Amino acid sequence: MAEGSEIEQTSMAESGTHVSTIPSGEGTVWVDVSSLLSSACNDLQEGELVHGGNFSLFAAMSALEIMDPKMDSGVKICGYNSVEEAIEKGAAPVPLSFEATTDVQCTIDVMDHLLACEATWHNGYSLARTVFSCIYLMKLERTSPHALLHSYCRIIRATCNAVVSVVSDARTHEEEDLFTMAYGLPLKGDGDEKCLLMLNAVEENISRQFRACKATLSKKGVSEDIKPLQTDLALEEGYCKALLCRIRFRKHFYHVLTSMRKPQGRGLELAKKHIASCLSELACIKKSVEFFSSNEYASCLDDIEDKTTASGRQPVGFDASLNSRLSAPIPQRAIKIFSWKKAVEYFEKLLHDLDVLCSFSLYPLLEDILPFVVKFQKLKPDLVARAHLQQLLVQDGKLYGRDLIFDVISRAAALPEIAKTHELLKNEYILQLGQLVINLLKILCANAAWQRRKLGKILQDWSVTVVQLELAFNKELGDISNVSVDEFTGLQNVFLKLSKRLLLWTEEQIFWIASRFLIMGFELELYSPSEYCMVYWFIYVILIKLSETAELKILTISDPVKRKGRKKREISKDPAKHPKISPSIMLLQCYIYLAEGLAMMLAALRNERNDFQTLSTLNTEEERFIQHFELLYKARVPDHISYSVFKESTVHVRFSTLVKYNYFSDAHRMAKELRSSFNNDPDRLVELRQIEQIAERNQVALNVICQVGVNDPSLKVSLAFSHHPCFAIAIVKRS
Amino acid sequence: MESPTPSDQAQSSDKPTSNVDQARKLLFRQMLIGVNDGRFFLGVFHCMDKQGNIILQDAVEYRSIRRSSPSPMEQHCLGLVLIPSSCRSSCHIDCSIEEQLSLLSVDK
Repeated sequence: MAEGSEIEQTSMAESGTHVSTIPSGEGTVWVDVSSLLSSACNDLQEGELVHGGNFSLFAAMSALEIMDPKMDSGVKICGYNSVEEAIEKGAAPVPLSFEATTDVQCTIDVMDHLLACEATWHNGYSLARTVFSCIYLMKLERTSPHALLHSYCRIIRATCNAVVSVVSDARTHEEEDLFTMAYGLPLKGDGDEKCLLMLNAVEENISRQFRACKATLSKKGVSEDIKPLQTDLALEEGYCKALLCRIRFRKHFYHVLTSMRKPQGRGLELAKKHIASCLSELACIKKSVEFFSSNEYASCLDDIEDKTTASGRQPVGFDASLNSRLSAPIPQRAIKIFSWKKAVEYFEKLLHDLDVLCSFSLYPLLEDILPFVVKFQKLKPDLVARAHLQQLLVQDGKLYGRDLIFDVISRAAALPEIAKTHELLKNEYILQLGQLVINLLKILCANAAWQRRKLGKILQDWSVTVVQLELAFNKELGDISNVSVDEFTGLQNVFLKLSKRLLLWTEEQIFWIASRFLIMGFELELYSPSEYCMVYWFIYVILIKLSETAELKILTISDPVKRKGRKKREISKDPAKHPKISPSIMLLQCYIYLAEGLAMMLAALRNERNDFQTLSTLNTEEERFIQHFELLYKARVPDHISYSVFKESTVHVRFSTLVKYNYFSDAHRMAKELRSSFNNDPDRLVELRQIEQIAERNQVALNVICQVGVNDPSLKVSLAFSHHPCFAIAIVKRS
Repeated sequence: MESPTPSDQAQSSDKPTSNVDQARKLLFRQMLIGVNDGRFFLGVFHCMDKQGNIILQDAVEYRSIRRSSPSPMEQHCLGLVLIPSSCRSSCHIDCSIEEQLSLLSVDK
């Protein structure tokens, strides 16, 4: 408060000079109207405003509120007006202290706080207010006499640059554009490419000091020529260790980032090694807390839980408000730098995520890549890890920067070999399809909310492409019929095969995208319990379509003759009788049973018990049906599906009929049977176990409801997502 | 916008116009507001409420780079800003010399 009033006084005193420095219009002067305005305020009625004809209260709401710390990025929190002034006033001294031990300790504090800032930045705050709140980084050349600080700051800058570059190249920043904003920050500097050399030299020096200190302690030979790191011999070993792990972590982390960016995933193996080193250095960094807590130079009685350094001390040389105005006029968010502990945890998580990426075996088949990406996203990787995933998948418009997208498609759709040389490849719609696949891969690397929105939107593009492809194929077929009769049959056969497979494959992708879109709604908690019935029903419809197209695709590829006379739906109803059906389709069938079972159970609960009924009077169920599925509807995925179809298929559902069609026990049985097919796939086995549990629980719930009596008012039915993020289990209780 | 009530007009009958009308005449003109952390905002006077909170349109923020005076100023365009009366330390309007006299006479 005292400081505030002091500022007020100074500015009041200076205000006269300032007004004269801000020019008024030509031939005009600045006239003080404060007293006029205050009298006008007194005369104004409560709620009355002085405003012109163009005033709109709504627009006025968007005004940036000055002095509001959340909106006004220029608000002066500290006493410094600029970086230069802060330096002049000694806010960031070099060296940090003339006393060697304090200097080392302060440098470590700077290092730790920078790590905390970096983690905060990765988590969605601006670079200017996190990492670049470091005055040493803002004026890096000043630190050159201090080799340790200088090399550390330099590698921090190079690392930030590498991260900004991967995120902006991946364009995942469309979702978090604050991330790459580095306007006005000294992010690039001459000689940053040599940062590793400098850091290595510093590391080498400290490890020599470390060895010398150990030698002295064990009283083996003492190497006199090596000057110790600091003055207190008792602390020498601890400080050397604390510095070495911090330096080595930075070095390996930088290597991880650069290796992962090598084209065609060539650096993944190397990156994996560096990740392992990073993790072990992080463990040492964590351990250094013990050393600090027993050391008088680092002594800090406070709990370090919330502190940004391992020692718990306040670091020298940081001021987050100095360049916060760089981000003006964007309303700034309230910012809290991560604690040091949280920052270390964050980096551990990031490194584990990157490690998963480095273990990725660059599958050539799209049907393997898509599940990998979906599975990776379940780890909730942060922006940096997702940007690396995207960079790995799509480089220069090719898969892994290696495989042409059309080759990827033709492998996935099992197109005949001739397809590669066929004229058709030059067709613009095929090129468009390739672009759609690239976009799909990129979208799948985005964050959940953005991803879902985009998936919904691209459905339309895919649907349009299917129609266009179909038209183009028909036209081409017409052209073929003009060639001589001998050539005709051969060409026609090949062409028919090609077009059929490509269309089927494209449709399969559409239904896959639609199913992801619907399922992600659960992950993002977009549905309310009263809407679960329609959502499960829609998922069921989409999954049926997906399994049909997938099945057809497999059948067309394997043996088109055998398929004759069989109805598609029959196959999916009882796959056990058709052992040739692929396990992946049977797995899909399990989910179909679950979705159908849940939709029907919820419908019965509504029809007979009035449970999960819509309470909102704001909009009708039909309106919400349209709101949720509008994008699918627009893309006609699938065709002829509307609210009335949903109503028809659910309005008459009763518990008595539900018991007859036993969806849950079918799902349970099939999942059990499938186990042997996935013996070598632990992920799939976990999935099957989940299905079995969900089916079993719901079956039990259904039985309880039927036994107790549907209309028993003491029954309470609720849903829980304890076994799966999307497929619920019903919990029945008697009150 | 409500017009001043008859009682207002009665009260200010000795003056040519009421304070509120005077203030209203300042609308759409360049206003320079100083706030108590030393910054200035120059923009078009857009709105003021009874509490004295002011909205400026197309506002530019001026801040001095150094504490010492005189100091170079840097500017940032901010657009529509709301300046709460609690942090306002000065308020000037851009006007010609002749107007200045008439405004001052109203002040007195």
